[in-house]
Amino acid sequence: MNDYQQRLIVLAGLYVTLSVSLNLINGITGQFSIGHAAFYQIGAYATGYLSIHYIQAFAPKVGGDVPWLLLMIVVGAIAAAIAGLLVGLPSLRLRGDYLAIVTLGFGEIVRIVVQNNDALGGSYALANIPRIQPIWVSLLLAVVCIAVCRNLLKTARGQTYLAVREDEVAAAAMGVNITGVKVTAFMIGSAFAGAAGAVLAHYEGVVTPQTFTMDVSFIILTMVVLGGNGSITGSVFAALFLFYLPEYLRDLKSPDGSALIISGGAVLAGLLAVGFGVAVIRWALNNAKLARGTRVAAYFGSVVVAVPIFFIARVGIHLIPTMATTQVQAGQLRMVIFAVSLIAIMLIRPQGIFAHHEFSWTWVRKLFGKPGVPTEIAA
Amino acid sequence: MSLLDVKEATIRFGGLVAVNKVSFKIEPGMLFGLIGPNGAGKTTLFNLVTGMYTPTSGQILFKDRQISGTPCNKIAALGVCRTFQNIRLFPALSVLENVVVAGFLRHKTGLLSALAYLPPAIKETEALKKEAMELLKVLDLDSVANLRSADLPYGKQRRIEIARAMATRPDLLLLDEPAAGMNPQEKEDLRETVRKIRDEHGLTVLVIEHDMRFVMNLCEHIVVLDHGEEIASGPPDKIRSDPKVIAAYLGEAV
Repeated sequence: MNDYQQRLIVLAGLYVTLSVSLNLINGITGQFSIGHAAFYQIGAYATGYLSIHYIQAFAPKVGGDVPWLLLMIVVGAIAAAIAGLLVGLPSLRLRGDYLAIVTLGFGEIVRIVVQNNDALGGSYALANIPRIQPIWVSLLLAVVCIAVCRNLLKTARGQTYLAVREDEVAAAAMGVNITGVKVTAFMIGSAFAGAAGAVLAHYEGVVTPQTFTMDVSFIILTMVVLGGNGSITGSVFAALFLFYLPEYLRDLKSPDGSALIISGGAVLAGLLAVGFGVAVIRWALNNAKLARGTRVAAYFGSVVVAVPIFFIARVGIHLIPTMATTQVQAGQLRMVIFAVSLIAIMLIRPQGIFAHHEFSWTWVRKLFGKPGVPTEIAA
Repeated sequence: MSLLDVKEATIRFGGLVAVNKVSFKIEPGMLFGLIGPNGAGKTTLFNLVTGMYTPTSGQILFKDRQISGTPCNKIAALGVCRTFQNIRLFPALSVLENVVVAGFLRHKTGLLSALAYLPPAIKETEALKKEAMELLKVLDLDSVANLRSADLPYGKQRRIEIARAMATRPDLLLLDEPAAGMNPQEKEDLRETVRKIRDEHGLTVLVIEHDMRFVMNLCEHIVVLDHGEEIASGPPDKIRSDPKVIAAYLGEAV
């Protein structure tokens, strides 16, 4: 495995951690937070700073570099959890959009404070962080994060978190301590983001304020929404999908192995084809009278419609001067393709890929149509 | 000792006095009715008793303990629980989960136990599920336990509200228009259910209802509100013939 592949695995683990932990705040508890990168950053900078200054003195005492990293992960989690408490407390009075504004503001405050602090490297970078790079740490963190959220949801306590999302007033009337629920959700969610930050800092050896811009917060939020608000399974899959898609598109090859070059006309034709494909699927979804078989046929039909539209449109658009001669490297379009696939998925399935469902073996068996398995919602 | 003692409870919203010096006592085990025309302040009074609003003046004593100003969830833990007039279930949760949430206020295990999925939390969850299932049987909802509560018909949702409130094991159960939108047969069943849970679970019930027949047949004592003020109080027979009540509902003869 080369460095690039290793790095992809580590970052994928971190993104899964980030999206599952944000899902606890946003999806499960229903508190619309869009400043998750701030907690990630707090974990990274706090532990990066500590490692630069204290690793030589203390790492031997805890048994070497890897135990020191594990200790730093805990420290990063605690630091971010305290920050989560600070944001969580005032946010108790805020709901929806207003809370979103506060968390967004908080994210920017953290980034700008760091940017203007010379001891933390200012706007350049916090560099020379000792690099401790076992791959398994990131994967372990992701697994622990998933396990914690799943455990919570399996218990009665977890149901009260969902109840706060569903109806705060009714939850309070049923004896749920909504203050406690919101604050703990914020603290646990940010703790995992902070832990992820600690792993990142020691993997990269350098972190800059630009690593933690609003874009990162939004991509994590997109993962949660795309996967299905509240679904842990969805957060995991969407994180992997959204993380790997741009990486995969980065070096799209044509069959002969050179970088794939396409014309501007083909790009437009592709967009048009996706649009028609989505329209066909939407039509099938909206048409409740369709038999199940017809609907499945329509899903395949969308491809049957999209492909000829692509070729016909390409011929048509190429008649326009410069459309055929403008050449684009496919890799450069990765963010366009990324955005288009997001839009397409959200149009086809607004509730997210997994909606509120979780992975379970019952569900898999149902998917393959084994008879005799009780369905979740009986007719 | 009265279970609930409302002493001159008053609440103002700006210039509007929604509830004005209302006083009544509820003895343990009573089926107590609260009636009045629309906008009389019945639900507001419920909100006062359950801690959603704090009275502007006056006192509310539950088991001789002052509860006005106590947060909602603490009042629920003390033993006062309610249903909502405009149904407020947790729509995406199953019927069983709705009831389990309410039972959780008696929890003994901590957060860490749940996060690590330790045996105490597992056992507690199992116990709560079992209890919830029993409650659902009482209200004849066990067949729909695993369905999303939002997908069920109105009459069932009303009964889930009652099951959910009962899961908190209240001493005083407040029902806000439990029979609204039900057909005569469903109302009949509901009346029997309310009686049954009062007798079997030793509950005291305070009910708001518009259906006179339902209230008169169910309740032992009735308080009538109009424009935030108490205009009559007494057993159903007395209320039925009270000229003030008739005037409030039908208007006065011109």
